[in-house]
Amino acid sequence: MMWENFTEALYTVFQLKTMLLMFLGTGAGLIAGAIPGFTIAMAVILTLPFTFSMPPLQGLATMIGVFVGGLSGGLMSGILTGIPGTPSSIATTFDGFTMARAGRPGLALGLGVWSSFFGGLISAVALVLLAPLLADLGLEFGPWDYFSLVLFALTITASLAGTNMLKGLIAGVIGLLVRTIGEDDINGIARLNFGMDSLKAGFQFLPVLIGLFAFGQLLSDVKDRVRARQPLMADTGKAVKVEHLEAIKTIFRSWINLLRSSAIGIFVGVLPAAGGSISNILAYDQAKKASKTPEKFGTGTADGIIAPESANNATAGGALMILMALGIPGDVVAAVMLGALLIHDVVPSPSFITDNAVLAYGIFIAFFLAHPIMIMLQAVCLRGFLLVTRVPMYTLAAVILAYCAIGVFALENSTHDLWTVLIFGVVGYAMRVLKFPIAPMILGVVLGNMAELNLSRAYATASDMTMFVSWFVLRPWSAFFLLLGVFSVGFPWYQQAYGKKKWTLVYIPLMAMFLALPMFFMQGKVRTFVAAALLVWAAYALWKRHRGGWKLEAVDNHFAEIKG
Amino acid sequence: MSRVNTDTVCAIVILAAGGAFFRATYDIEKMDYRSLGAEVWPRVVLILLFVLTFAYLFQSLKQGRDEKSEGGGVIGWIGRYQNALWCYALFAGFLLTMNYLGMLIGGTLFVFLTLTALGERTLRAFAVHAAVSLISVGFMWSVFTYGIKVILPQGEIFSAW
Repeated sequence: MMWENFTEALYTVFQLKTMLLMFLGTGAGLIAGAIPGFTIAMAVILTLPFTFSMPPLQGLATMIGVFVGGLSGGLMSGILTGIPGTPSSIATTFDGFTMARAGRPGLALGLGVWSSFFGGLISAVALVLLAPLLADLGLEFGPWDYFSLVLFALTITASLAGTNMLKGLIAGVIGLLVRTIGEDDINGIARLNFGMDSLKAGFQFLPVLIGLFAFGQLLSDVKDRVRARQPLMADTGKAVKVEHLEAIKTIFRSWINLLRSSAIGIFVGVLPAAGGSISNILAYDQAKKASKTPEKFGTGTADGIIAPESANNATAGGALMILMALGIPGDVVAAVMLGALLIHDVVPSPSFITDNAVLAYGIFIAFFLAHPIMIMLQAVCLRGFLLVTRVPMYTLAAVILAYCAIGVFALENSTHDLWTVLIFGVVGYAMRVLKFPIAPMILGVVLGNMAELNLSRAYATASDMTMFVSWFVLRPWSAFFLLLGVFSVGFPWYQQAYGKKKWTLVYIPLMAMFLALPMFFMQGKVRTFVAAALLVWAAYALWKRHRGGWKLEAVDNHFAEIKG
Repeated sequence: MSRVNTDTVCAIVILAAGGAFFRATYDIEKMDYRSLGAEVWPRVVLILLFVLTFAYLFQSLKQGRDEKSEGGGVIGWIGRYQNALWCYALFAGFLLTMNYLGMLIGGTLFVFLTLTALGERTLRAFAVHAAVSLISVGFMWSVFTYGIKVILPQGEIFSAW
């Protein structure tokens, strides 16, 4: 059965039309990712309307092409001009641009492209192997556990807003509130529509997303009147010949860095709402720490390109993993993918891989295939990127706004959705101006329904109020996610106080200890073993610090250097 | 008043909007059977919003006034955000005239006016803007109408032809 599904998926993906669309998508992603200010999420959002009329797998394969292309496209402008195309390639510029300026742009591009390729392939393997396991785990989840998982996803998104965590939390809660407007999905009762018939159906998720993200982003890009009229980039340099063979050899020599960075990328991708913008910096930082010659980082070293580029592509696999296994989007791009699946009446859940095996295998294959396509198209798209960067931002903004309008109308043939785009365009822009992070609000809108549905299911399942409330802390998975949520709320303070306050010495060991407790009550021997290992490690770490007289460690200022 | 800053105003606006939403939860129909009422989840969310926004309000009051005020009053504010305001106004105009102009004519006009509002206003620029708007919207309209088979609003003017 498994092979039948696999071959059917293979047949669908390798159809001429699907392949052609994947080539188009990857090429578009490469160019879009290379344009500063034009994020991958926006590229995927703009692709979505084209996929409405396609079969689900064809549409998703196209979007995966855009996703993978976008992740790799950011390195082109980063290496050639020092301005990263997307936040996922920020760390690539530290060594990529320096190497290019030192006269090896071909090698720098080669290292970037091939690291993206290998990182993506490693993550594709992990996706195939781990997604079904994660889905099996998801089958153990009850409504209490799912509700707590959503809470954790929202808190971690907010905590990634750093010093703006309070704003991040507020944005997440506003997202939840937006989702409550209109008929409730459980009883079909109209609510919070203020007597307006047009609000009875509530707000569709995709117009909200396009308004918040694309509309708001475009207006931010054209805010400065003078800059909006200038070409996107003043000096994009000339197309260079990529040194493929030398790059591959160099990457194989740094295989440990490649594996470590890819693992970091996958892990960050699995975390709800953490994306390539975090994984590339984290991988760069770890590569520098592990290097025998850390002083070479920032001067054009190959490891400084391999680490961020392999990590950011690997993040995509992690994000798809959690989306397919649990229905939780790993980042904004995965949220759009979720929207695309919902349009085709496919709801990701733990049973998604078994219920929609052909689609699931198709996604695996498409993700795998997008990487060689990206390599093939890279040289062509480099020229396309050089052409596009001569266009002023205001031209792109006006055309894309019109395109958004046509695309959103095509969703449900409704002008109500266009007004939704305008309203949330205003909200998104205001949030940017007031420094509210957008991602928590988007996740709030996406996950709000899941939270309410599971809360309602928990209430209906519980025999009384005590059981309803107490099971949030008595069920092991629920307690585990709630504890993770609590510690993720404290994480920005931990980061700020690290190396300055003594309580930071116990924060991580305490977190490990607390997380070990619910794990002891989960099924299976492996989890008990992991819980015991966590406890032992935490006790050892505390003992070591006690012996050291609770002395604060010297702050490792890698991140400060990176930010600088 | 010396403590009031942008964040304070923002927190007050969120609290006021939250209050209006909370009031609206009392208009939600109640159910007789055992199930989580349709008003429960919005109230939980709103209470959470109030708690967080009050914390945000206190934090903003502790910060004091904005360090850097861009000044200029209402005219200065309009000047700072004129590009965004142009886009909103033109997009709203595009939606309001959709029934008459349709997606093709309205879209082309929207792109042309937006380009003219944001870009340079020379004769050459007008010609470039006209060409860009005609080609881009015409291309997208054709793709959706003939390629994806989406029936886009024709508008009364187009229908009359």
